[in-house]
Amino acid sequence: MAIIERPSAVPATVDGAAAPEFVTTSSALGNFRRPVSTTGWKSWIFTVDHKKIGIMYGAVSLFFFLVGGVEALFIRLQLAAPDNTVLSAGLYNEMFTMHATTMVFLFVMPMAAAFANYFLPLQIGARDVAFPRMNALGFWLFLFGGIFLNTSWFLGGAPDGGWFMYSPNSSALFSPTNGVDFWVLGLQITGIASLVGAINLIVTVLNMRAPGMKLMQMPVFTWMVLVVQFLLLFAMPVITVALFLLSFQRNFGATFFDVNQGADPLLWQHLFWIFGHPEVYILILPSFGIISEVLPTFARKPLFGYKFVVFSGAAIGFVGWGVWAHHMFASGLGPVSVAVFSVATMLIAIPTGVKIVNWTLTLWGGKLQYTTAMLFAIGVIVLFTIGGLSGVTHAVAPSDTQQTDTYHIVAHFHYVIVGGAVMGLFAGFYFWWPKVFGQLLSERLGKWNFWLMFFGVNLTFAPMHILGLQGMPRRMVVWPDKLTGDGFFDIAFWNKIASVGSFVIATGVLLFVINIFVTAKRKVKAPLDPWDARTLEWITASPPKEHNFDRIPTVHALDEFFHRKYEEVDTENGPRLVKVKTAEEILAEEEANADRHIHLPSPSYWPIILALGLPIIAYGVIFNLLLSVVGTAVVLLAVFGWCLEPSVADDSDYDPPTGGDSTKELATLG
Amino acid sequence: MDRSDATVSTLGDMSPTPRRRKAAALAAGTVLLLAGCAKDAPQDYFQPKGENARTINDLQVPVFLIAGVVGIVVFATLGYIVWKFKDRGQDIPEQSHGNPKLEIALTILPAIILAGISVPTVVTVFELDKKDDTECIINVTGQQWWWEYDYATGDCGGVNIAEPIVTSGELVIPAATNVLLRITSRDVIHSYWIPALNGKRDAVPGRLHTLRMQADQPGLYTGQCTEFCGLSHARMRQAAVALNQSDFQAWVDNQLAPYVAPEAGTLAAEGESTYIANCAKCHQVNGIENADGTPVLSEPDLYVVSGVAPNLSKLMTRTAIAGWTFDLITEECREALWNAEPDEFGAMYLNAVTPECLDEVALRSWLRNPPGMKPMYVDSNNLGSTGGKYRGMPNLNLKEDQIDQLIAYLLERK
Repeated sequence: MAIIERPSAVPATVDGAAAPEFVTTSSALGNFRRPVSTTGWKSWIFTVDHKKIGIMYGAVSLFFFLVGGVEALFIRLQLAAPDNTVLSAGLYNEMFTMHATTMVFLFVMPMAAAFANYFLPLQIGARDVAFPRMNALGFWLFLFGGIFLNTSWFLGGAPDGGWFMYSPNSSALFSPTNGVDFWVLGLQITGIASLVGAINLIVTVLNMRAPGMKLMQMPVFTWMVLVVQFLLLFAMPVITVALFLLSFQRNFGATFFDVNQGADPLLWQHLFWIFGHPEVYILILPSFGIISEVLPTFARKPLFGYKFVVFSGAAIGFVGWGVWAHHMFASGLGPVSVAVFSVATMLIAIPTGVKIVNWTLTLWGGKLQYTTAMLFAIGVIVLFTIGGLSGVTHAVAPSDTQQTDTYHIVAHFHYVIVGGAVMGLFAGFYFWWPKVFGQLLSERLGKWNFWLMFFGVNLTFAPMHILGLQGMPRRMVVWPDKLTGDGFFDIAFWNKIASVGSFVIATGVLLFVINIFVTAKRKVKAPLDPWDARTLEWITASPPKEHNFDRIPTVHALDEFFHRKYEEVDTENGPRLVKVKTAEEILAEEEANADRHIHLPSPSYWPIILALGLPIIAYGVIFNLLLSVVGTAVVLLAVFGWCLEPSVADDSDYDPPTGGDSTKELATLG
Repeated sequence: MDRSDATVSTLGDMSPTPRRRKAAALAAGTVLLLAGCAKDAPQDYFQPKGENARTINDLQVPVFLIAGVVGIVVFATLGYIVWKFKDRGQDIPEQSHGNPKLEIALTILPAIILAGISVPTVVTVFELDKKDDTECIINVTGQQWWWEYDYATGDCGGVNIAEPIVTSGELVIPAATNVLLRITSRDVIHSYWIPALNGKRDAVPGRLHTLRMQADQPGLYTGQCTEFCGLSHARMRQAAVALNQSDFQAWVDNQLAPYVAPEAGTLAAEGESTYIANCAKCHQVNGIENADGTPVLSEPDLYVVSGVAPNLSKLMTRTAIAGWTFDLITEECREALWNAEPDEFGAMYLNAVTPECLDEVALRSWLRNPPGMKPMYVDSNNLGSTGGKYRGMPNLNLKEDQIDQLIAYLLERK
């Protein structure tokens, strides 16, 4: 049954003397009401429930993943043969710019946000995030920012300066379409989403953990998400500044990057990569967190060296700030800077290596179950190791001056991002799908999905090592026949293989999408604890109730759920782990002892309205400033509405209670 | 619960079953290292042809090997674990949380390896930045989408350059000489790269970067602009051509040889006036005069964003045009030249565009419609953002007879 239909009538107003605990419509300054729908589309677009927001993040990111994937296929089609003509030079430049921008900003980052939103509160035993309306705002900003950015395709051309958007090639003189403006403003909008989310999740982790849960008892996924939020908190302002400078240069005549006015184009590169390198860890760490949950679950033993994994994650977060100039070894920084950044870059390989070692040793001595999620997680170890090792070859600065801007680099970061981040997200899909939707994704299709993606990634990106070492630069719409060479290292041959590989990956992804539909249609309910899992999110129903936990669990140990299920029993052959309780029994226990008063935030109209104002302002900057005035008015209206709306819906806003089968008193109190 | 003691015993159980069948498959990763064996791959950077590239190669080969070995160890271990600890109905393992000693050891180990790599790295960084042994300085300037080379007057590897030389596409240098390139750009960022001779260096407007160049032997070494520079980034190519001292002297002498006007009444003479009428606004031919004897001086800064266009005085001493992208010689001759032995290369290069080798197809079609061959930002309706200037060569709508005249004229620019 739908839960939490109405506010609790019990507490505040009984004693006439006490002031109302919550501001309701009748006691608020204005007459703005809170939306109260619990079903239908309104229950989604006005929701502040972290789980619904998480699902929406996931659905939209997945859509953008497909968009970015199609862009990648166009790129590989163009490069499949020498002097090919599938795409024009201009369209090719737009395609690779949007492929990278989409995959980074509209797929991996928000997909990680989807997982973080959904599971972080569950993993720490909270009922929602600290700032639920801000959370909704973050999602809508991401969605509208992403749509805004992609409308550039239909409004004069997509951005064409590469995702790194180096100055002065990004100035109006050299990129005269509005594409770069769409890019700048779109990323500003999605950037606000990231910042809002970062603050929200940091506060949530630090303040809303279940009783007893120390920081060093948090699941590793939560830890990695926390590190990522700090990275976002400090990285997003840098790119925001850079984007503002560029925006003012292009639209309002500023000269920050105008060489004729004495500007140094390297300013942009520094700003971009001070953001851009932490961004790499923003992309990869959530995935590290996911597989740090998946590997122990299916190895049936705790993560090896939890503290080392956590501290190495934090160390990556710190050292990640000191390596940005390794993207600029050929930029002419001078030998001292190059040497320093070269050594710093090698330094960061150490905590990264620690993680690989710990994951491997987690598997050692385990009882390994090769579910699809586990296969993806092991796939991450393999592919990320390859990417990491080629990364070490780039850290050697003189060697990097040969490699940089060749396909060797393209191979490296696709192993890291597709092999590391994306495969990790897929491990998360298969692992947590039953938790979110109460259904198991088909393992049969899942294994096909995994093997196609795994082989596809190697087929696509391994040849790029060869292409790079043979001197094929990046971002070239065509490569000439006369440079192909012959024999085993024939560039033409390996380009074709890479193109074939990209379609193998695409087939794998397609199987995942098919799996979603097949699973949804099958309507088979998953067991409550299908993986014999270890962490708090599995202590509740699947899908979780709106209020997450009937009783906020008290935490005694890392892997709390596992320790509630298993106890060590002495036998004649020494101590043995024995299952003492099933998940069902634990859940029943929790339900029987449900908290009396459950406070949940009410939905709100204002996050989506506020978010809608920003793209209107952005269109105005590009086309007509009057439109910006309209957008600003929308934003202001939403801000006032936000501030003035009552903290909770009025009792009379709700439908009368429908039935009496609930034994619990539930409330939608803020 | 802390069970580090239990872990020790778990690890002590390492059963020494030596079945490493996966290791062989994983050794395939070393395939990467074989990249050095490629044949006829002109931009393979594991085949250094000069001192600087060799310094880099001496550093990168061991690094690749170490990376390969580490990879094989990791994958062999992982493969063994995946096979050995598969769920075969065994008990749930002990809930051990780690083994700090082992972990510290496994943290220090990569640290030592990386420290070992970092020392020669830093040494090499400084070695590649040396400037005190320079024997010749050449200014290299990038612009959309071609490279210009300016030879300052003075000594260049024992050859005296009496007058400045301006050329493009092919960087001609004396072999076995330490040349220092001074690299900059006139518009966006480009990057100069000749893989066989050195790593790359960005050409950044407003900044001057240096790059060492040295070729052991005479020969032609190809390269490509490697910083994304807009629409025709893919068609901004270059080569370094190394010549022995006497050939380099001959090349310099020829570059500085005075202008020879076409014989009156020839097609080339008609070409000269067609050239003055259509091309001379942007392209300079040194020494060319109007009918009244005044010098014809180009003013590309009025028409082109970068402010320059390639100098055509000695166009036929180069083997490719338009950002060194389209060949002036047949494929056969090009193959012969690129693969020539060092001792015969110089003579072939100094006389590369012979009537037998000439392939004027690309030149002709270029004159007919340049942006058709190489996309450039030259739509005359779309010059609002550039103050009316072009970013490449527009279509001049030349008639076929004008093209014939121009080709006849240009063929004499050698």
